[in-house]
Formats: sequence, structure tokens, C-alpha cells
Amino acid sequence: MLRFRYRFRQRNLPSAEGTGSGPAGRISKMRKLVTALIRHERIEGKHPYLDEARGYAERLIDEAVRNGDQHKPTMEIANYWLLEKDLLHKLFKVLVPRYENASTSYTKMWNLPTVYPGGGYHMALLELRNNPWPDVIPQQREVKNNLINVLIKAAKEDHEKNQQLTEHKQSEFTDQSTDTGTTTSQSP
Amino acid sequence: MAALGNRVAALGRIRLLRSSVFIQCRYSNTLPEATVEKHRKSKLAQDPEESETESLVAPRDYKYVYPEFLPDPKPQYRDRIREKLEHEDMFRRRTVLKIPEFYVGSILAVLVSDPYAPGKKNRFVGICINRSGHGLRSQFTLRNVVDGQGMEITYELYNPTIQGIEVLKLEKRLDPHLFYLRDALPEYSTIPFDFEPVPHPPGATIPVNPVKVKLRPRPWHERWERQDLQGLQDLELPERFYERAREVAKPWEKYDLMKQYRESINDDDAAKIMGYVYKKIQELEKTKER
Repeated sequence: MLRFRYRFRQRNLPSAEGTGSGPAGRISKMRKLVTALIRHERIEGKHPYLDEARGYAERLIDEAVRNGDQHKPTMEIANYWLLEKDLLHKLFKVLVPRYENASTSYTKMWNLPTVYPGGGYHMALLELRNNPWPDVIPQQREVKNNLINVLIKAAKEDHEKNQQLTEHKQSEFTDQSTDTGTTTSQSP
Repeated sequence: MAALGNRVAALGRIRLLRSSVFIQCRYSNTLPEATVEKHRKSKLAQDPEESETESLVAPRDYKYVYPEFLPDPKPQYRDRIREKLEHEDMFRRRTVLKIPEFYVGSILAVLVSDPYAPGKKNRFVGICINRSGHGLRSQFTLRNVVDGQGMEITYELYNPTIQGIEVLKLEKRLDPHLFYLRDALPEYSTIPFDFEPVPHPPGATIPVNPVKVKLRPRPWHERWERQDLQGLQDLELPERFYERAREVAKPWEKYDLMKQYRESINDDDAAKIMGYVYKKIQELEKTKER
């Protein structure tokens, strides 16, 4: 079962491999993209193409995870989709153990800015989850326990404490003054 | 006044004036789409028993034995509540009518009530050439040749006029449909109405009939040479037909994983539905034993 939002209708991509390449060109392009994704684990390209290829890559990995390498039809499918045959080993020996207990999709997609000047295409980035590359959006380093931050935090707490004390004293002073005011007004 | 009433009724609602309060009454038996949509999204519509059915695992071939319980894979036609209600209706029908297991290629006899037939009943015997539809709308087509005339009747499986379905010979064929029998020699689809039932021991594997059908010479209903059909003899066509078939062939569809995924109910969903069906069928069998 696919664990990401896929389109209910496929994109026909009529000129995937040049004008008029048709459905055969589309599937050929998809095979190249799936092979590249399994090889490099992170690829960049036009959004519609990668979005289509994502479904095929997910289904291929899902079949491999479900059926394993002893299942003949699965091996035939993998042989069709992976143009470079050394990737068959990678699929069954690296990716299947990686995604055996996955509860999310196997791939992830990111939007990239349109390149200008250029074709004006909506660009995207497609990657396998848990890949060895650095994160697309880098995780911020934990700086909470740096010495300077610890000192600043302590100083801030100190300052707040002092401020509360002075406020308390001031409020006591004003309370007394209001009390005296009321007594004087009542006396005449 | 009546004209006004009609005009308001045409809009789907009637407004009654009672002590200066407008009460809107629906006269029709339909609900507004917005109400249905609200109910679909409501938490009450989520099935609380779902966790129980998950644990029940149906045998692997259940989706081939009861294909009519699988919903239409087109997402725009799916509605979980309607599917559930239809399943309830189907099980209720199964309590009064025994709907046997059969496949394309099996020989069936169907008894339907017919007000114009003598005895008000009509029995038709034929070979099942197709099964289609989903849920309550599932159908099967029987074909026979009567007095040299090819006859086909499409029955709805859950039609209340059906009084009985009898499987005379339980077997499968090499293809998912047998529409090519329309262009075949009549002996391949001629079945006598007094066909003796062939016993099938329960639990035995369904035999596959490997017969190869010989077609009449062209013209045909379809270009059978362009379809990947196993149950056909050599078509004896000129070479140009096969060349054209090779040109328009789509060999990649066999590997188009997303196309297959979009056009079928995926394994997880099917297992869930079939677990529920398995439970219900077992309950039905228990009540019949009593």
C-alpha cells in the first residue's frame, strides 16, 4: 500500500523523451529515473517527472519488501525497472533490510525554486528516506548548553528575580500611601 | 397555491408556516449532499469494530472466490459507508439464496421468476463468459446456443427475481473472459439444457480447462489477434495482421506498477475487506447448520 498522496490519474508526459515519444517514452524515462534514484538515493529534476517516478520507486521497493528475492515475478519486475543490474543486489540486500519495519513512505519529496533564467519549470528533489547524505534541511546544533548561553540564562534569571523584588517593595509603598489617604479623607 | 407548492417542491423542500416559525420539511427520500458529506467525515462513521476484523485473516484465494465484495477501485466511486451497507444487504440476500462459488468458464443453470413464462419460471443453462460489476451491481453473463442461435443473458447476482443458481460444472478457463466464444464455432458454447451436474468434492482445487477454441473466419466482433488470449487456436490470418498487432502492442503494461495499482484494490485493503467477509460467511454457515 502506498503511504503518500499520489495522483488518481497518471501524467501522460507525452514528450518525456522528445516530442512524440508517447507512452513508451514515458515508461523509458520512468525506468531511468527509478534507476537513478536507487543508485544515488537523491535526485533533482522537474517536479512532474519526479512525482510520477516516485510512485514507481515506492511500488518497486514495496514489492521487494513484501516478497523478497526468492519470488520470481518480483525479481522479473526488479530486473525490468533497474537498468543497471548491480542495483538488484542493492535493492534486496540494502534497501529491503532498511525498510522492513518502515511505517512511513520509503521516499521523500521536496519542492525546489524555479531556476531563473531557465525553462521556468517547477523543480523538485526526490530522495530515499534514511539515505547517507546530509539532511536537506540541516538540523540546528544544540546550543543550549554552550558556556555563554548558560551564563546569559543565569544572568537573565538573576535580573528577573531582582526586578520582582523591587516591584514588590514598590507595591508595598503605594499600598501604604493609599491607606493613609483614605484615613485622612475620613477624619474631617 | 398548488402551483406555488409545486414550485417549492421542485426546489426539494416544503416550507410550512406554523405560528410564525418556518419549519423546513423534506418530502423526498434523498439527503442533501452536504449532510451525507458531513456524516462521511464524522468520527461516528469510523468503524469501531475494525480492530476486531483486522485480526481475522481470510484464505489467500478469497478475493477470487467472492470477487463481488471488492469495491470499485476508482477512487471517485468509493464510499466506505455505502460499501458497508451494500455488504450487509448482500449477506442478507445470501441468507435466503445460496450463491455458489463459480468462475468464468463454469457451466451454470439459473432459475428466475418470469411472469410471462409458463409456470412463471424460466431456467437458462449456459457457460459463464464474464463476471463484472462491484457490490450489489455485480453481474455475470451466460452464453448458450439454442436451435443454432447464440443466446447471452446477463444476470445481476443479487437480483431478487433470481430463485436459484446451480453450478453444473465448476471449472476455470485460461482467460479472464470468454467473449471470443461469440466468434467461435457453435460447438464450443452449445450446452444441452439437461446437462448432468458434474460433482465437485468440497475443498478440491478448481480444475482449469485447457481447451483451445477454434474461431470462425473473419469478420469478428473484436481484433482477437491483438489481445493476449491463451484459449485460442492459431487464428490463420495473413502476416500483416500480426505485424500490426506487434506495432500497437503495449508490452510495458505488464510492468506498469502504478497502472496496476490504480486499477485494483491493493493487497492491504483487500485483506481487510476479505477478513470481514470471511467472518460473515462463517457466521452464515453456522446459522444454516442449526
